[in-house]
Amino acid sequence: MAKKNDKTTFGTIAVAMFWLVILSGILLAVPFNVESPYLSVSTMIVANPWAALIRNYHYWSSQFFLVFSLIHLYDHFHYKEKIGLKKGMAFRLSIGVLIIFLAMITGFLLKGDSDSEQARQILQTLAERVPLIGQSLAFSLLGHPESYQLIYVHHIATFTVFIAVIMIEHSRRKYWPPVLDFVISAIGVLAFSYLFSAPLHDNLNPAVKGPWYFVGFQEILHWLSHPAWSLLLFLVLLVLLYLVNSAKGKTMFLSKRSLLVFTGFYLVLTIIGLFFRGERWQWKNPWQENYRYEVLNNFKSPRVQLTPEFELGTAIASPVIQGRKESCLACHSETHGLTDSHSPEAIGCVSCHGGNPFATGKNQSHNNMILIPGNLATAPQSCGTTQCHPEIVERVPTGLMATLSGMISVDRFVFNEQDNPDELANVHHLGNSAADEHLRNLCVRCHLGNPKTEYGPVNESSRGGGCLACHLNYSPEAEIALAKVKDTIINAHPSISLATSNNHCFGCHSRSGRISTNYEGWHETTLEVKQMPTNDNNYRLIEGERVFVKKQQDVHHELGMECIDCHHSYEVMGDGTLYAHQEDQADVQCIDCHFDGDARTIKAENLDNESAIIAALRLGNISGKEFLVTGKRKHALVNTFVENDTAFLQTKNSKIKMALTRPAEVCTRSNAHSDLACSSCHSSWVPTCIGCHNEYDPNEPSYNMVANKEQTGGWVEFFGEYEAKLPSLGMRTEGEKSEVIPVAPGMILTIDKSAYTDDADNLTIFHRLYAPVAPHTTTKEGRDCKSCHNSSLALGYGEGKLEYEMADGKGKWTFAPLYQRDVNDGLPADAWIDFLQTRTGKVATRSNVSPLSVEQQQAILTVGACLTCHDDDSRIMKATLNDFEEQLQKRSSACILPEWK
Amino acid sequence: MKTKNRRVFLKIVAVGFVSFFAFIWNKLTLQHIATSGAEEVSVPLNMNKEVQFFDKYIIVNSDHQTKVFSSHCSHLGCKIDKMESGKLVCPCHGSEYDLQGQVIKGPAYKNLTILDSTVSDDGKSITIKG
Repeated sequence: MAKKNDKTTFGTIAVAMFWLVILSGILLAVPFNVESPYLSVSTMIVANPWAALIRNYHYWSSQFFLVFSLIHLYDHFHYKEKIGLKKGMAFRLSIGVLIIFLAMITGFLLKGDSDSEQARQILQTLAERVPLIGQSLAFSLLGHPESYQLIYVHHIATFTVFIAVIMIEHSRRKYWPPVLDFVISAIGVLAFSYLFSAPLHDNLNPAVKGPWYFVGFQEILHWLSHPAWSLLLFLVLLVLLYLVNSAKGKTMFLSKRSLLVFTGFYLVLTIIGLFFRGERWQWKNPWQENYRYEVLNNFKSPRVQLTPEFELGTAIASPVIQGRKESCLACHSETHGLTDSHSPEAIGCVSCHGGNPFATGKNQSHNNMILIPGNLATAPQSCGTTQCHPEIVERVPTGLMATLSGMISVDRFVFNEQDNPDELANVHHLGNSAADEHLRNLCVRCHLGNPKTEYGPVNESSRGGGCLACHLNYSPEAEIALAKVKDTIINAHPSISLATSNNHCFGCHSRSGRISTNYEGWHETTLEVKQMPTNDNNYRLIEGERVFVKKQQDVHHELGMECIDCHHSYEVMGDGTLYAHQEDQADVQCIDCHFDGDARTIKAENLDNESAIIAALRLGNISGKEFLVTGKRKHALVNTFVENDTAFLQTKNSKIKMALTRPAEVCTRSNAHSDLACSSCHSSWVPTCIGCHNEYDPNEPSYNMVANKEQTGGWVEFFGEYEAKLPSLGMRTEGEKSEVIPVAPGMILTIDKSAYTDDADNLTIFHRLYAPVAPHTTTKEGRDCKSCHNSSLALGYGEGKLEYEMADGKGKWTFAPLYQRDVNDGLPADAWIDFLQTRTGKVATRSNVSPLSVEQQQAILTVGACLTCHDDDSRIMKATLNDFEEQLQKRSSACILPEWK
Repeated sequence: MKTKNRRVFLKIVAVGFVSFFAFIWNKLTLQHIATSGAEEVSVPLNMNKEVQFFDKYIIVNSDHQTKVFSSHCSHLGCKIDKMESGKLVCPCHGSEYDLQGQVIKGPAYKNLTILDSTVSDDGKSITIKG
């Protein structure tokens, strides 16, 4: 109170700060380069700790200058008495406050980072919208968009001189602050400068914000569609300030109170802007995901280390990464093993691993680092940053490998928890039902969102891992380096590349449908490890406990093709659409490569960007090339191309070039077998399982695959018999179109829920469901005629004796099942349908798949009757392919057709 | 009276002086902007890429047409450098535009500015005016 009357409260401190700003600014001008501000500032921080300290000094002294100037102002508002400055002085002081803010904001712009660039755009736009002189004002203030020259001039000269003049005039020509104030200010600012660094955006984090004193204004702008109106706000504030200083009586008092109310309001907006706004100025509270990344990132402030934990020479020699210096490369200068596009020289370390690129000590640099980038939870902050692969990272979570929609939906369907197996579901939205607990215990480890938590190469035990699941490869050197002692810098880095091999797919896809193992020609047995024959190449042990026996491999595998040689990026990484099942997401079809007629192609210049990049990385110069496109969704197959009217495929990893063969004539004729999917004939075997039982055991030690932790109580599966057989045939109906497809006994099972639920209606469940299959055991030759027309297995009756008997001029098919009839439904244990009958309702793991109708069975068996006497390749049977009815008319009296009653 | 007249006179002189310099300042700045010339730049074009962010420009290839938008958000001029779910999103205040440059979500209410452009004969570069 005693000091009230001299009206200098904190004013002298502000003066002290001003001189400290000037002094530090003069020193800062030495290392600062106005031609490349961001690079020069980051270079100071990384390679010149003394310059970094003086930059901090300049920053903090200026912030405190602003703060104490505002407090000094507040001191005047606080009391009811008038200030009573002369009008001219009051006017110049009001303008002075505006100039202080301009000096501050130009300082903010001069660091040249992404915050600064956007702030510059906003300032320019606002200035341009000042009536009449907008364009001149904007250019005079900011200069040419590519240059910081004019901003620098105004910052160090125009505004500084103006502030100095006004300040000296205001303080009645007192140039210097009291010594004590100066000493306290100098020491205080030094302490701050040592402990907290001035901000510099890493240009990676998508959240951009203005300086702290303008985030309240940024919040106001967010609400204004016509931001030019905000200029009036400035005008009103300046007028109020003028009135506070020069008016008297009620006007002065009202002006003071208005400014006070506004200050309170602005404070709230500032807190909102600083702590509750994230990327794209969206509301973000501390309990939301990524709060730390989007909001707290703004407060990253490493301490200056005058002796950094690296050789300054190495830091100086380190490459410039996207316009800045990264301190990471001062220690990790020998890192190698990454492909060109991901090498540290190209994208540094922070692009993938986060951390602090401007800290100069290990702990601060590694703070909040992403040790294993690529996991889907952090992929938007690493692989998916704006400059890298944002569109892919956005797509991947929509793909089936991330949602597990089909797996979840079918499981719930089988547990009688939903009526339709085709509903969309997501592994991140599992509930507490019996099916969802079953999924958690036994199934949902295989999804891309399951994080990779340990270093090391992808192997047959790997599950999930986001981008790394497919793109991570360890060189032998990197594997050896991994085993090194902790705390030594590992220079051999694994690579992130397009070299996705079958091994990457194997961990997940060797289970359930077992596509990976089928493709390589391995069939899982129920043998225990000790029962596995030793030294027998026909057997293979997977994951140390699963015994596989050799079967026929897929013809494409035999030719050296890998999974990614067929499956393109939009299939594997999703195309942004949510699909219910694999067959829905799958795009590539046999006929895309084995086409009849003209090739369906796309020219290189018309490729989408992703396909063009992949094609160029795979094939080199793609100019002038024509690629095949899929029939279903018109995506390019970037490892195929047409040369001299011949279509070729080149394997993506091994670069084997092969001509694509056209389908055999028997496949393309339109009058027989035209409604058969290629795989219904060209699959040599498919794994089957019958007689599975599931029950919940509350005492069983089990695992929660979502939380990734052990628990007591879980679902237990008692599996039946695994056999490799030719697939059965079923019908898939989509709209008007029906197609014969391969199916297999997927879920002939019982479920005992009594220990899990009190739902009396569904304590025990029995289902006899077949599943559509994509066997991936393709053969060049199709299966023979009898394997369908005379096969109980193909028709869905299960194994057994299917015979055609002719007696007394009458023909009759009979069937004796191999397996006993099940007590639950009276059908043979492995059957889908009973002999010459069919089923409807809950019969398959898809709503559009059903067994053959009775008429279809009769038609197939009629041909089967012929085949009991005539060989497959006999002239007469070949003739039936052209016109079966005609051949029937011409049959001899020895030919006896079956009767059905 | 004399004193008053002198004050009025001085005020007029002061206003005139300031106005004169303001006039000169406005003229010289506008002339300088004019002498910098209407900007015309040629940038590499990637026809394979549906949306290409190129500093001040957003180049959109769709339906065999190439359109160039100013990358400055019509709200406050922030540079738009990101596409999310098929939308161009402003990093400063979250305004959203479709690939035709039309506002989907505010605070912006004006569409993105379309700039005149000419694709080179070989389709590998594009000349943009403005």
